[in-house]
Amino acid sequence: MKKFLSIFVLMMFGISLSACADSRETLVVGLEAAYAPFNWSTQTANEHTVRLDGQIGYADGYDVVVAKYIAEKLNMKLVVKAIEWDGLIPALQANTIDVIIAGMSPTAERALTVNFSDIYYRSEQVMVVLKTSQYVNATSLTDFSGAKVVAQLGTLQDDLTDQIPNVNHLTPLESYGAITQAVRSGEADAFVAELPVAQSIIGTNSDLTFVQFDEENGFVVTDEQVSVSIAFRKSDTELLEQINEVLASITTEQRNEWMNDALDRQN
Amino acid sequence: MELPDQSEFLKTIIYLFVTYYKIILYGLGVTILLSVVGTIGGFVLALGLTQQRVIHIDKKREKRFTRILKQTLKSLGNGYVTLFRGTPMIVQAMIIYYGIATLDIFSWWNPLTAGLIIVTINTTAYISEVLRGGLQAVPIGQMEASRSLGLTHNQAMRKVVWPQAIKNSLPGIGNEFVVNLKDTAVLSVISVVDLFYAVKQSASATYRTIEAFVIAAIIYLIITYISSKFVNYLQKRVGTAKVVKV
Repeated sequence: MKKFLSIFVLMMFGISLSACADSRETLVVGLEAAYAPFNWSTQTANEHTVRLDGQIGYADGYDVVVAKYIAEKLNMKLVVKAIEWDGLIPALQANTIDVIIAGMSPTAERALTVNFSDIYYRSEQVMVVLKTSQYVNATSLTDFSGAKVVAQLGTLQDDLTDQIPNVNHLTPLESYGAITQAVRSGEADAFVAELPVAQSIIGTNSDLTFVQFDEENGFVVTDEQVSVSIAFRKSDTELLEQINEVLASITTEQRNEWMNDALDRQN
Repeated sequence: MELPDQSEFLKTIIYLFVTYYKIILYGLGVTILLSVVGTIGGFVLALGLTQQRVIHIDKKREKRFTRILKQTLKSLGNGYVTLFRGTPMIVQAMIIYYGIATLDIFSWWNPLTAGLIIVTINTTAYISEVLRGGLQAVPIGQMEASRSLGLTHNQAMRKVVWPQAIKNSLPGIGNEFVVNLKDTAVLSVISVVDLFYAVKQSASATYRTIEAFVIAAIIYLIITYISSKFVNYLQKRVGTAKVVKV
């Protein structure tokens, strides 16, 4: 028992020591590690993974690849912390992390609190449904009229849900894990997701599929809504400029390749 | 090991556990650590808090200043219990963790240390109520007898009333430990890597959520079952009066 406790005491000190490194030589990135394919956690390291600070395991995914690229270009040491979605912006403001690279859409509301970089990925919005669902052959939002639709609390997809005519907008859930379960169990008919997220979910859940829309039949979205950006503290403008320069050097082809690789690794 | 197909429920559970056992066991360790530290720390702090709440005010003999001071202490103690019993731990966690992190005054402030402190202050409030009940269950004759044998009020409290009150409270305190094992799951909201959080992470790559949480349910059930048995055993050994068999 004593040994057991002393291991934990050591563990705690280890965590607290690793938390206080100079922020200008290190880039401390916050992400959920639960939003595949942008970021997820794994127990096996590979060339793309980064050790998760303060816990056992590694982060992998598109965001991690981007974070690694940025850290390398700026010659900074990369530290990745897994933080719950609701805690990401508070953690940024509390200096616990320097940037959020977590598949976050740069909405106008969030931009009141944080600064956003240029876009580092752009995607389309789709609906994920059961393969056996009556909505499988839908081609427009109107086809989803009356459907029970769920989304993640506090996300763009939750706002978009209201664009479906006569939608039965269910109470938003905590995570994509819970949302996937809601649709698999029939509690919800569908959920709105970004294309890469939908692809990754159906990749591991063979009973699900997704519905895509033409531009005129789908969700009405602005540029900033369907893209993801890196979030910074309002005061941190220098780092923002440096990272924007790095992002500009990544081509669209490169981005798509990274995303496809991430989808492959996940399955 | 390959990820089993969607239809293979049991195989998926085994796959998730085998692949993620390291973080799951780590999370289990953190859950146990939180409950042990929370319950022991909460008990020690609750002793002081409860004494503060039942402080004896002698209206005839004590000076006005002393009476006001004691009454203030009493009200503060009661206020503490009202505050921490009247708000959910998940809300306390968000406010305390991010509040203090924003102030940026402690270099050791991280989710785990914050979680340990939050569960301790929360448990203190609950155990204080258990102890107060334990004190009230001690017959008034105990105090009267002690006083008539020449003990002061404080001596009687310390040597006669409190030991019996603690004995009375043991089942309640043990229960608080079992409750903590489960309730610390809410600390995952501030990213404490407890069992709940670890299991959630283990489903993050595959979105096989139910399967992952079945693992959590089994582990929670095992640890709460074992600790309830242990609490019962402890209760028998300490020998709280003779119990009616039901």
